[in-house]
Amino acid sequence: MTITNNNSNGQAGNILEVENLRVSYPITGGVFARKIAEVRAVDDVSFVLQQGETLGLVGESGCGKSTVGRAIVNILRAMVYGVEISGRILYHPPQESPTTSTQANNHAGPVDLASLSRAAMRPYRPDLQMIFQDPYSSLNPRMTVGQIVEEPLTIHARLTKQERVDRVGWLLEKVGLTREQSSRYPHEFSGGQRQRIGIARALATNPRIVIADEPVSALDVSIQAQVINLMQDLQDEFGLSYLFIAHDLSLVRHISDRIAVMYLGHIVEVGSAANVYKAPMHPYSRALLSAVPRPDPDARRADRIRLSGEVPNPINKPSGCAFRTRCPIAKPSCADAVPPLELKGDRWVACPHV
Amino acid sequence: MMSTQPRKTLLEVRGLRTYFDTEAGVAKAVDDVSFDLYEGEVLGVVGESGSGKSVTALSILRLIPSPPGRIVEGSIRFQGRELLQTSIDEIRSIRGKEIAMIFQEPMTSLNPVFSIGMQLTEAVLAHENITRKQAEARAIEMLERVGIADPARRLNDFPHQFSGGMRQRVMIAMALLGTPSLLIADEPTTALDVTIQAQILELMLKLKDEQAGAAILLITHNLAVVAETCDRVMVMYGGKIQEVAPVRDLFNNPLHPYTRGLLASLPEHDAGHDPDQEKTRRERLRTIPGNVPSIMELPVGCKFNTRCTERIERCFAEEPELIEITPGRSARCHLVTK
Repeated sequence: MTITNNNSNGQAGNILEVENLRVSYPITGGVFARKIAEVRAVDDVSFVLQQGETLGLVGESGCGKSTVGRAIVNILRAMVYGVEISGRILYHPPQESPTTSTQANNHAGPVDLASLSRAAMRPYRPDLQMIFQDPYSSLNPRMTVGQIVEEPLTIHARLTKQERVDRVGWLLEKVGLTREQSSRYPHEFSGGQRQRIGIARALATNPRIVIADEPVSALDVSIQAQVINLMQDLQDEFGLSYLFIAHDLSLVRHISDRIAVMYLGHIVEVGSAANVYKAPMHPYSRALLSAVPRPDPDARRADRIRLSGEVPNPINKPSGCAFRTRCPIAKPSCADAVPPLELKGDRWVACPHV
Repeated sequence: MMSTQPRKTLLEVRGLRTYFDTEAGVAKAVDDVSFDLYEGEVLGVVGESGSGKSVTALSILRLIPSPPGRIVEGSIRFQGRELLQTSIDEIRSIRGKEIAMIFQEPMTSLNPVFSIGMQLTEAVLAHENITRKQAEARAIEMLERVGIADPARRLNDFPHQFSGGMRQRVMIAMALLGTPSLLIADEPTTALDVTIQAQILELMLKLKDEQAGAAILLITHNLAVVAETCDRVMVMYGGKIQEVAPVRDLFNNPLHPYTRGLLASLPEHDAGHDPDQEKTRRERLRTIPGNVPSIMELPVGCKFNTRCTERIERCFAEEPELIEITPGRSARCHLVTK
């Protein structure tokens, strides 16, 4: 199943295509830590990321959104022993190699990142970078800011020391810090400034795709807007494609061109941000958006859709549609098969009853 | 919501100062805070990190770790009793029974090695002279009220067997065992998913309404949560109250530049003025410049003067007073006058 390009801003094609991605984490038990069960954290997920766009990936904790991001940068096997990944993650490298990365990516066609070993992945790492949630734990406290931002350059780029220092200074200025601050340590910075450092590090290798996993949720309200604006400015300047993973739905809406809603490892709805927010179609998207509080005391809603119960344990997912145990419009037939994503008007929805 | 008869004050805080002694000097976490909490209302306390909102709450319950913290001066009257003058034994009997508190992270507030039932019955037995059986019955009843299915069986479960939302329900059940008239909720839904957040907030409001005269002090950084749950709002910055207003007034006509900046930095939540429903790309969020200052490096004069876009010379020389602009509305800003 492929999801076609239904973005209206006519950008230049896909940079990433995720096809039927499945990720299972093993659950071990007993003295010998044998695998006794598995959690299908991501279950048959397909989507495309277009050149220069921001795709928002939303859903509640445990829905698999972070796993999708980590699968794309191919770090799951290093993080979890025994993780099983299937499906394809097709990355379209640029035709000529970017100036700062060393290894030339002169392949003509797309590369399936999911199938690459660590060594084979290495030439593509500069192109795919991550920004993490917690600016306090994602920066090494014993390294100066300059060293933190320089590290990816040392690994991935053949630059002289002076070139690297120049680039670090340039990057720090790009994210609103100063060259002089490169000799200081992370603890000397506030949360918002640290996130700027994390962004500078992610940009060091001239990436084309940036996976931002909850990049502002640990920041103060007045700082979140600064970081979001910065990310948008950098996207414009460098033509970045963002996969923006977050649970704060109002921010996702603001920054995203398109949105994919996940529930228990499945994508249940994909469409343009404006359309999905204005008129969500999948019963889960409807409930999720209805639950978002609004900063408007005159709009307190009595018509809120209440979801009963909680997200089921992914170890024992319901058969058929994963949402059926909480769905207000569930029918007996929902237990039979996982509903596929189908094109309904302007978007893709995985529910036959809407 | 607003009745014409004078509201009864449940909690009266006057001139509260809570300082922390650190190696770098004295951190004035709460610096001359005064407010009233009326019976039956939900008062929101909004602020960013270091604003003093949590320390204010902890001061009410005398839960400030000392050293390094100390309540320097002020008065906290709860139902007419001065909490700062009572003995610690007396405070203990008030905690949980008359004033209860729930925290952001329910996992760290529950003891992982005792069953939920054990912790709930202990909480009852600490305040009431009844048998363990009776206490258990109360615990079951309370779990049922907060929406936990099959409560009798779940009494034997341990905290890790509950999900985040369920743990917060258990915390609320525990908080309400003593039928407190004041519930202090410090970021109660920040660690929860939005659908669970909606359930928990609704539950808190419902339980408040079931008990005559009960009130909630809701501490949060989330303005949308405030808009949906609070009757009045108190905005804090730099250890000081910057603005107090009924919730509608605050959102429709914020007075303090900081409040205005906070509200302006929120993304538009409705497509509203966007008929073509095509997102206007590159729409920028309005921001408050600069960083949230640490309480050790607060400026002289107005605490917000390092970030305020409307500052005048006077803001650096002298700190404005919190003055009542119209009945029920106060602001601390030289530019805001009656």
